[in-house]
Amino acid sequence: MSRDLSVMMLTWEFPPRIIGGISPHVYNLSKSLARNGVKVYVVTCDFPGAPQHETIEGVEVYRVDSYKNPAPDFATWVYLMNVNMQKEAAALARSLGGKIDIFHAHDWLVATAGIGLKHVFREPFLATMHSTEIGRRNGIHFDYERMIHETEAWLTYEAWKVICCSDYMVSHVRWAFGLPPDKLIMISNGVNAEAFAKYENEDLSQFRSKFALPEEKIVLFVGRLVYEKGVHVFVNAAPKVLEKENAKFIIVGNGYMKDQLSSVVKALGLAHKVLFTGFVDDETLRKLQKCADVSVVPSLFEPFGIVALEAMAAKSPVVVSDAGGLPEIVDHDVDGVRTYAGNPESLAWGITRVLADDAYANRLRQNALKKIREKYNWNQIAQQTKSIYEAVLNDYSKSFWAQKGQESPAEKATDKSA
Amino acid sequence: MQVIIFSWEYPPRIIGQLANYVEQLAVQLLKSNEKTWVVTYHDFLTGEYEGTEGVKTVRVTNPVRTHIGVLTWVLTLNQEVERVAANIYYTAGKQIDLIDVHEWHFIPAAVTLKKALDIPYVYSVESLEEHRSHGANSPFNMSIESIERLGTYEAGKVLTKSEWMRDEIIRSHKVPEDRIRVVSPTSASWLKEILETYKNVAEGRAQK
Repeated sequence: MSRDLSVMMLTWEFPPRIIGGISPHVYNLSKSLARNGVKVYVVTCDFPGAPQHETIEGVEVYRVDSYKNPAPDFATWVYLMNVNMQKEAAALARSLGGKIDIFHAHDWLVATAGIGLKHVFREPFLATMHSTEIGRRNGIHFDYERMIHETEAWLTYEAWKVICCSDYMVSHVRWAFGLPPDKLIMISNGVNAEAFAKYENEDLSQFRSKFALPEEKIVLFVGRLVYEKGVHVFVNAAPKVLEKENAKFIIVGNGYMKDQLSSVVKALGLAHKVLFTGFVDDETLRKLQKCADVSVVPSLFEPFGIVALEAMAAKSPVVVSDAGGLPEIVDHDVDGVRTYAGNPESLAWGITRVLADDAYANRLRQNALKKIREKYNWNQIAQQTKSIYEAVLNDYSKSFWAQKGQESPAEKATDKSA
Repeated sequence: MQVIIFSWEYPPRIIGQLANYVEQLAVQLLKSNEKTWVVTYHDFLTGEYEGTEGVKTVRVTNPVRTHIGVLTWVLTLNQEVERVAANIYYTAGKQIDLIDVHEWHFIPAAVTLKKALDIPYVYSVESLEEHRSHGANSPFNMSIESIERLGTYEAGKVLTKSEWMRDEIIRSHKVPEDRIRVVSPTSASWLKEILETYKNVAEGRAQK
């Protein structure tokens, strides 16, 4: 190719708008692709105070009006937001004069925009499936969920290739939508280990004292407070751990379960031992992860589990459940502890094991750090992604869409009969 | 001229009076030697057809079968309308002069096609959500009104069938009067006026 490969990423979240794991994923992937010579245009939802257009380390970021009018429900808002996103992305792609080689959508939240752009510009289209509705809800029970499930199915149907971040997600997505195996590609998620380096030599005891007493060990949960993340399992494990260890349980994040969880904590008489911080900024989060004596990922459904990687990068020992992609990240007793998903006894056992044995905890930390540096670095992930783009473009160059203005054999036949 | 008409109803799928009106329009355009396609919805008569009068229709269905309301159904269906309109555009040598969008349903598709491929559109208004819902302003009604407003904002021209409707659109959506043209279906020069509007909108694009 004579010029740089250009890709337009569609995502409903991009920093500073952070809702879940898609935001850091697209952020790190885009920056690493840019470093590997790919021109990346990110089109995303707007955020108070964030500029409509900015360049971040070579990545062109465009934030579009994400539909401020009232919408009857979340899914309708998503489809309406896609109208605005598609309109702005189409105008941008046109203004670039056909420079976009690939459209890449992240999850159903940008499905309709991505599908539309594929067809109007006739360029190849890829989708990364970060999660699925059937996984999040543990089945499809209502029309609302079925509609999202069918939108996801349509997205994977329209995509040239479907990227998933773990072997677990590849088989899950293949099962959920009946996709042919050669359509699915596993490219691992990554973690930015350097993000924690600057706190390496910083004295965090002052910071730590805001969250826990010096004699309390910190047990950290980071995630949305929703059922699938298993935060209720974490809360139920707390009294069992406290029988043996003096610890402070810190819960970072927001979600619909928050009120319910805090009343459970009060009923257990543990209001002084469990702290809900709500959503915190990046710096606070990283420092907390550095301070944590153990980081816990008790998910019941987990497509990948990036929060486990972050903890490993922060040199915090991890205790995870055996759900979804987590067992692919953590080798039991080598770089973390695996416990049974949904089982507070098992989780408490894992937490206690790490807290009770410093030598064991240190061994886990060192092995974990080695693993994330070797296996989960963004540069390698960007190179893998770039090679998928190149392979897709090579396939595409043989299709009739690549001969712009040419008709398909079927279209020719129809035209003659007319 | 090469024109694509978007309408959510078209014979044999008749919901109100729009289906027969749009069919008449398409037939008359063909008789005036304007190449015309109709893109519409049907749940199972999908694909490309050439009717008895020579009108080419392409019917699409919704790939998402389960919905929680009209809005999610319409918004997802738009992608299929957009897809077949793009196919017509590429097959017709990228020579589509404009799209005539009847009612709000397929405004999102028309707007993307305008932004992506520089195909202007005329927004033919039959009725407004404000009247249909008797002024209700639930989030559902407001969402539909916002699509109507997007439609009037991005349109090359808004066509109405009465002066009353013109005034209502000006009042409701703050559209400048010169962007609206009233063409009465009962007028003797009905087709001539519509063609004139089409030509102005198509030429307006070329001047940009």
